[in-house]
Amino acid sequence: MSYPDIALGLILLGLSAYLLFGGADFGAGLWHLVSRRRADQKVIEHAMGPLWEANHVWLIFVMVMTWTAFPPVFADIMSEHWIPLSLAALGIVARGSAFVFAKDAPAAVYSWTFGISSVLTPYCMGAVAAVIATSGSSWLSVAGLYGGLLTTGLCAYLAAVYLIWDARRLGEDGPATRFRAYALVTGVAVGLLALPGALTLDVLSPLTVISAVAGVVSLGLLAARRYLAVRVTAGLAAATVLWGAAGLADLDLDAAAAHDSALRVVFFALGVGALILVPSMTWLFILFQRSPKEQTTAAG
Amino acid sequence: MTTFVILADAASPADFAAARQQMAFTLGFHIILASIGIGLPAITLLAEWRALRTGDQVYAELARRWMKAAGVLFAVGAVSGTVLSFEMGTLWPGFMDKYGQVFGAAFALEGIAFFIEAIFMGIYLYGWDRLPPRVHFLTGIPVVIAGLLSASFVVTVNSWMNQPQGFKLVNGEVTDVDPLAAMFNPATPVQAVHLILASLMVCGFVVASVYAVALLRDHRAGRPLDPYHKRGFAIPFTLGAVCAPLQVLVGDWAVRFVHDNQPIKFAAMEGVHHTEAGVPFKFAVFEIPNALSLMTSFDANATIRGLDSWPEDVRPPDEIVRISFEIMITLGMALLALATWWAFAWWRHRKGREGLGWNPWFLRLAALAGVGACVAMEAGWTTTEVGRQPWIVYGVMRTEEAVNTAPGLRFGLYVVLVVYAVLAVATVSVLRRMRRRPDEPATPAKELEVVG
Repeated sequence: MSYPDIALGLILLGLSAYLLFGGADFGAGLWHLVSRRRADQKVIEHAMGPLWEANHVWLIFVMVMTWTAFPPVFADIMSEHWIPLSLAALGIVARGSAFVFAKDAPAAVYSWTFGISSVLTPYCMGAVAAVIATSGSSWLSVAGLYGGLLTTGLCAYLAAVYLIWDARRLGEDGPATRFRAYALVTGVAVGLLALPGALTLDVLSPLTVISAVAGVVSLGLLAARRYLAVRVTAGLAAATVLWGAAGLADLDLDAAAAHDSALRVVFFALGVGALILVPSMTWLFILFQRSPKEQTTAAG
Repeated sequence: MTTFVILADAASPADFAAARQQMAFTLGFHIILASIGIGLPAITLLAEWRALRTGDQVYAELARRWMKAAGVLFAVGAVSGTVLSFEMGTLWPGFMDKYGQVFGAAFALEGIAFFIEAIFMGIYLYGWDRLPPRVHFLTGIPVVIAGLLSASFVVTVNSWMNQPQGFKLVNGEVTDVDPLAAMFNPATPVQAVHLILASLMVCGFVVASVYAVALLRDHRAGRPLDPYHKRGFAIPFTLGAVCAPLQVLVGDWAVRFVHDNQPIKFAAMEGVHHTEAGVPFKFAVFEIPNALSLMTSFDANATIRGLDSWPEDVRPPDEIVRISFEIMITLGMALLALATWWAFAWWRHRKGREGLGWNPWFLRLAALAGVGACVAMEAGWTTTEVGRQPWIVYGVMRTEEAVNTAPGLRFGLYVVLVVYAVLAVATVSVLRRMRRRPDEPATPAKELEVVG
């Protein structure tokens, strides 16, 4: 495997993680906006990042990897789609700051900003992704509209699926029931919305088949109330859509690839970084999951 | 996919100017947040350390509140930093296209350091009531170290733009890429140290100025000074005051470096228009004969190259560079004077004479020091960035070769200005609401609900 292949693999991995985790954050923002019930909103706020939107780290990773490994591709995409991408960036700003402000100084305006920017950002990114995948012209074209809606729908679906388990863990039965209903409805809707895309991609390609099967299985698992297993199948159904789109995109990566010497340093840094990051993230996760009852008031 | 046509077109002058202003504005915004993001964990740890050593609850309360403020500023800094990585591509695709691979590794390292900082920030905030006090204190140390590292990695890219190396240009193509040589370019040490000291000064003086205002209120109301305000002032102000004299030394190093390596920027900073020997030191309306030659070369008759010895199309806008440089120097000296006052008051206090210098005039000046430090930071940034123009990569790529040629960039600037103005107002208002002294210490249960 050549260095650019590894870099491409890492970029796809980062994009998948951003869709599965960051996308669920966006979707949670959408449900926060749609469901005005305080109980639902509380579950959403609890499920989101401990102090800031850590999942944007995946996006930053993807951007840094792209401009290091395939500089012309990055320059080309960013300059051509600067309008939707700037809107997405401003959405991230509005969302991230409204989220943290709402924690420390709750106000309705932050809640609205959070909800609206949670829809704006994935829509713009999905539109750009679809235009790249279909070699289309603009985010305002039909392909852009389709990609934007599909991505926003996928985010909403993932979030609803994840939130059922979170609500149950908090012992909130009302929100859990509602999130299950949201998941079923959006699951069917996104599945129907994905059909035209699957037709252009080739319905019998392995990725389309996996995506469709995972989507149907997810609906079955939701019906059967298997809330942990459905997280996996729903994630698979969403990620395969992304991989399918990536396969469609006609990018001349070999001509654009950076020198191996540049990539070698990046890979080494990522390896060393992971040695520190993984254990510390595990620690944070354990601390975050620890229930309030176990707290000591030593420093209080 | 359309072919990349950056060199074929040219951006309209209005869009080109807008792209530069947008980058300057968003970076100028981020740099203040990032400075506080680096410094605030450090002063929080100082306060927590004092609390552990003395058992004094005032210190513990200060540490807790500073860290909560650090959490808010960190989140805003994280998103404003994300915007910058978008802008690298949306505004400067020509730059990224050609040189992204040369400095990309520095950003990868920065990303890792930033992530470590974020994780430990989370551990520190969450661990407050869940970890033993000593362990909790130790989890704050990686936050500070990772913050310093992440700032240093970013600065390597800027210093590389001033002193590009680690690649070769063969027929306009970048080859022989050596990311480590690019990162460890000659400008890196001096720029990194200068920026880190500046960040600590910005944070120290900004936080102290908040408490200086509170102390002035105590004075005006005729009540005894609140120990919470006194300590809240003393810790950050002392940090700023310790950095101020060091910064003067590092600043001298930086100027000498620019003189040796970017003589045209030096000429612009010092306002040297014609090459001559025995150049006077000019500052605002003052002029000291031969002093500039003496200071830079230790020879009163040394020759300094003037701006007019370079072709017009490689000269920076020298008035902006000179004025911002003078603003930085003036404010730096004023902060040093204030730091000396504080040190003197401290020394008298140690000798057992008089209390610490809580003189209202000192506090009034200290209340302004926060703004002063921020302005000095921005002025210094302007000096180095505008002084590098018309190059984005010094001597290698001109800024107009890098800009996005898509029409309408200026509308992006207008939107960004509005969004950031709202963001700044909201951030300050949230911090003000958090600043109020709590009548009862926040209970852990309440805290959980707020963050949960």
